Amino acid sequence: MPSKTPGQAPGKAIIAIVIAVLVLLALLVPPLGGDYYVHLLALVFTNVILAASLRPSLTCGQLNIGHSGFMSIGAYTSALLAKHFGLPFELSLLSGAIVAALVGVVIGYPALRLRGVYFAMVTVAFVEVIRLIAQIWVPLTRGMSGLSGVPKPNLLGITLTTKASQYYLALGLMLLILAILYKLERSRLGLIWRSIGMADPLAQSLGVNIAAHKLLAFMIGCFFAGVAGAFYAHFIRFLFPPEFGFLMATNILVYNYVGGRGHFVGAIVGAMFLSLLSEPFRGSAYETIFFSIAMLLTILFLPGGLITLPGKLAGLRSWRAASAPSPSPAG
Amino acid sequence: MPLLATRQLTKRFGGLAAVNQVDLTVEPGAIVGLIGPNGAGKTTCFNLLSGFLRPTTGSITFDGEDITGWRPHRITARGLVRTFQHTTLFHDMTALENVLLGLHLSSRLGIGTVLLSRRVYPPDEVARAREVLELTGLGAHADQPARSLPHGHQRVLGIAMALAARPRLLLLDEPVTGMNLDESGRVMSLVKEIRDRGTTILLVEHNMKAVMGTCEHIVVLNFGQKLAEGTPAEVSTSRDVIQAYLGAGIAHA
Ligand SMILES: Nc1ncnc2c1ncn2[C@@H]1O[C@H](COP(=O)(O)OP(=O)(O)OP(=O)(O)O)[C@@H](O)[C@H]1O
Ligand SMILES: [Mg+2]
Repeated sequence: MPSKTPGQAPGKAIIAIVIAVLVLLALLVPPLGGDYYVHLLALVFTNVILAASLRPSLTCGQLNIGHSGFMSIGAYTSALLAKHFGLPFELSLLSGAIVAALVGVVIGYPALRLRGVYFAMVTVAFVEVIRLIAQIWVPLTRGMSGLSGVPKPNLLGITLTTKASQYYLALGLMLLILAILYKLERSRLGLIWRSIGMADPLAQSLGVNIAAHKLLAFMIGCFFAGVAGAFYAHFIRFLFPPEFGFLMATNILVYNYVGGRGHFVGAIVGAMFLSLLSEPFRGSAYETIFFSIAMLLTILFLPGGLITLPGKLAGLRSWRAASAPSPSPAG
Repeated sequence: MPLLATRQLTKRFGGLAAVNQVDLTVEPGAIVGLIGPNGAGKTTCFNLLSGFLRPTTGSITFDGEDITGWRPHRITARGLVRTFQHTTLFHDMTALENVLLGLHLSSRLGIGTVLLSRRVYPPDEVARAREVLELTGLGAHADQPARSLPHGHQRVLGIAMALAARPRLLLLDEPVTGMNLDESGRVMSLVKEIRDRGTTILLVEHNMKAVMGTCEHIVVLNFGQKLAEGTPAEVSTSRDVIQAYLGAGIAHA
């Protein structure tokens, strides 16, 4: 449930300082950290984009468990266009995003009329169908041999050969997309999404075209998932269909739940926290177990997600302080 | 010309005709009551008028325009706004924010205003929302979260939100349910006040005192069909109506 975190809200200046410090730290990673961290963090940034781009739909109350399918479409589209037609990265990335958004409309138009769990089931089926297509359409995607030789990203004709430069690209993309998504969420459009998520009959009775708005929110999310996929394709330079399967899709959802859905930063916190913490298990069977446990712990102990933790701790402390003098609190 | 007119309006759920060939007319400026025993089809009728359900057959004309089969948001945009029998609010938001959303969601927006508006609640809208809260008597509760309001206030907040959407015809589904005499009296005078300010009212209500005291014209539904209509005096002395209510009463006992 979207609700304000208890405790005093930090001032705008403090938030700006925190963001500035974080961005500065992120800028310092390539010169100070090793290649390992540069690589890892670039992938974390992709996950942040994926998590944040799920929010428009989530805010509308739509459970999309197929987001990685759109990432996959963006990745393959961009990779193939760049590899076979020599399209510059800017254009192939944009094409990947647009194709992902268009597929989003085609899937979303009928599916968004379904309610709750039925919509979720369609998205699950979708992500598996996309994975199967990528596996079976060998002439195009190379199937299970994987698509290799994806060109490195380039900007304005200059190829980004070093991992560090690609890292900065990922950072830039993430910051840009986060700014756009945050702005959208804070605009009237975001308010409409929230109203649909809270009570869609009421929103409808007050004049909201909920079908159109759900579709728009879904499409926006697919577009940015496509961007994330395109970056991923040119960064890893090798695409393997199962990478974008159901597991990845649920992870994106779990980022949002564990981080907290009540505020925009929840998606960022969740994606950063979980993708850094799950790094040792990446690709192993333990990855699933890790994410399941994280989800379970959240549902049981922190239903509002990690972003509600400070408030909870503060509440706990004041409760302790209040109950310390009198050992039996009134109840 | 009537503001609202239905012709042979029918809604079937499987074998059940929840609304059956109903002709309903609402003149502009009137307060019309729609009554009938439980399950008579009143809420279904509202769902049809507001576009939440599609009629099986029949037509709906609002202000001279055929709105049959329109989706709810379009009907709202034309000035036909409904409230819900079961209290429906944005529970996590304050009373003021609820009304602001009512204003917001119903105002026509271009892409530019949607994306580029810096301030989510412009001052003129806040002023207008406060006005609506004052009118409905919720002024003192503006900053209270909707979920923490007492039941009576929640019902009134539902009306306030509908008012924010600038209705020309307001459909109220059991506005005084669960209220005490005092509260329901206040709500019924609010309904009159709303009408005096130019909004036509169609009202579903089981509270006979409220209905008889407020409505100028009453339509009685029973088993989906129109059983009778007329002034409160005519309806309350109609044999058929008394029969229907007594019958329902006996069935309930
Ligand atoms: N979506 C639906 N599907 C199937 N049957 C329905 C549906 N909605 C209503 N009904 C049935 O239609 C009939 C009329 O219901 P409706 O809610 O319109 O009655 P009502 O007059 O509003 O009653 P009440 O005074 O109890 O609110 C009832 O028998 C109800 O069970
Ligand atoms: Mg009803």
